[in-house]
Amino acid sequence: MHTNMAEPMELLCWGGDWDLPSVHTDSLIVLAYAKFSGATLAVKSIDWTWRTITASVPQLHYEGSTVTEPTQILNFLRKQRFNADYELTAKQGADTMAYIALLEEKLRPALLHTFWVDAQNYANLTRPWFTSHSPFPLNFFVPGRQASLALSRILLTKAESPLLNITEVEGKIYSEAKECLNLLSHRLGNFHFFFGDTPTSLDAFVFGHIAPLIKAPLPSGQLQKHLNQLDNLCQFCNTILKNYFTDASAEKRMDCSPTATHDPVDANLQKLTQLVNKESNLIEKVLARSADSLLNLMSLEIAVTCLKVCGHCFFTMY
Amino acid sequence: MSLAAEAFVSQIAAAEPWPEKATLYQPLKEDQILLSDSASSLAVQTFLRMCGLPVQVSCCANAEYMSPSGKVPFIHVGNQVVSELGPIVQYIKAKGHSLSDGLDDVQRAEMKAYMELVNNMLLTAELYIQWCDDYTATEISRPRYSSPYSWPLNHILAYQKQWEVRRKMNAIGWSGKSLEQVYEDVSQCCQALSQRLGTQPYFFNKQPTELDALVFGHLFTILTTQLTNDELAEKVKSYTNLLSFCHHSKTSK
Repeated sequence: MHTNMAEPMELLCWGGDWDLPSVHTDSLIVLAYAKFSGATLAVKSIDWTWRTITASVPQLHYEGSTVTEPTQILNFLRKQRFNADYELTAKQGADTMAYIALLEEKLRPALLHTFWVDAQNYANLTRPWFTSHSPFPLNFFVPGRQASLALSRILLTKAESPLLNITEVEGKIYSEAKECLNLLSHRLGNFHFFFGDTPTSLDAFVFGHIAPLIKAPLPSGQLQKHLNQLDNLCQFCNTILKNYFTDASAEKRMDCSPTATHDPVDANLQKLTQLVNKESNLIEKVLARSADSLLNLMSLEIAVTCLKVCGHCFFTMY
Repeated sequence: MSLAAEAFVSQIAAAEPWPEKATLYQPLKEDQILLSDSASSLAVQTFLRMCGLPVQVSCCANAEYMSPSGKVPFIHVGNQVVSELGPIVQYIKAKGHSLSDGLDDVQRAEMKAYMELVNNMLLTAELYIQWCDDYTATEISRPRYSSPYSWPLNHILAYQKQWEVRRKMNAIGWSGKSLEQVYEDVSQCCQALSQRLGTQPYFFNKQPTELDALVFGHLFTILTTQLTNDELAEKVKSYTNLLSFCHHSKTSK
């Protein structure tokens, strides 16, 4: 039974890329849970707005109240009768809390390190992405701020206090993360979801944590390599994307917005063929009219289509 | 410790049997030790007793500074020093004693998950209540923490420790929480533990594991420590099976 909503619930989150509805773990958790529980959210991306530095993402707005943090948002959705955990037993509910704690303690530091502290990944993937998705002049501040927050979180929670050196901690956090992934894989086994055949909040949390790791094109990803060896977790992630998020990613492809798709070559080819077809149609029309003015018109059209082609190549490559 | 150093220590650990003069170090029991440290220390002592390994408890004012990781308790075995429950469990496993061998992979995953739940929620809540709640910090934590030292060192150390803990709370997002929310988190954690325990004597099968040691350490300390108010203890007391678990663990050791 859903409450009668005068206005839909609005969710602010980071935008999507790499076949995902969002690249941000916490935003993904909320988006996945909303799909699982059947809640319709009006998703508003904060990319290219001032909210990239002012808002703490994800943020849910409904009837004047604002809720942040994934756990609080999930509690709020449950109170609004959107409950994906309805059929869990008490013990399964307790297990959910325990596994979420495991993810936060063991996997989150290594994820933060992979995306924000590892020099290669940060310079080649994370910083360009967040810079290109923030408005001027925030693009100078947003990635740096996130990176320093990530580093301080890792050091304060994992480093041994007299030393506070990131290199000493790296080995430890990656081995703990790999162990955590192995434990999750053991727990999932051959099932589709963690508790039977329907996804619950634990599935949302696991999906939010591992999906960016599977899908992001990381230059140096030892954790990603480890995760790719765990077939059941990769399958779990792809199943959720296919069953709950295909509409979103298919819509994005049709919009031809400048986000990189999974097969950039094919998409480029498609766009180029469309443009070339348009151009050849124009040329046919032009040949049926008189020479001078039409030659001008034709050269103008061809110049415009060439510019468009170059523009699309440029956007899809960067 | 780096991975290579850990592997080296495990090898050395496996070579020697458990000595008779193993010592566990913690801060002074009567005057100095705080709730969170006392809970961790009791968890380690319970674990060692469950494994049947004798250890002497030695109380030192500077235990925190002697520890290799800056956290108490730590054990001094032979010529190695290991701190915190996680590494101690691994060290003892290298010596050939383990409480969780009988568990299969899924159960081991659950055990580790519940241990992280206790660390994530209960321990963090204890630290929050001690250092981020101004009243408790002024009345109990700062005076106790700095009691062995003279002025002005006692003020400096107490404030330094408070600042460190508040920084950590800030980093993990707990600084925005109110005290009521923290008590609510403790209650939810206890509810999860209570539901997992059910009517069994221990969390897994009929044998105690390191999870039982950890839970006992925290719950027993919460129940027996006098803070500025009894709300924390009341939260635990509302779950009767946890109370009987503490009672049973205390009397059977």
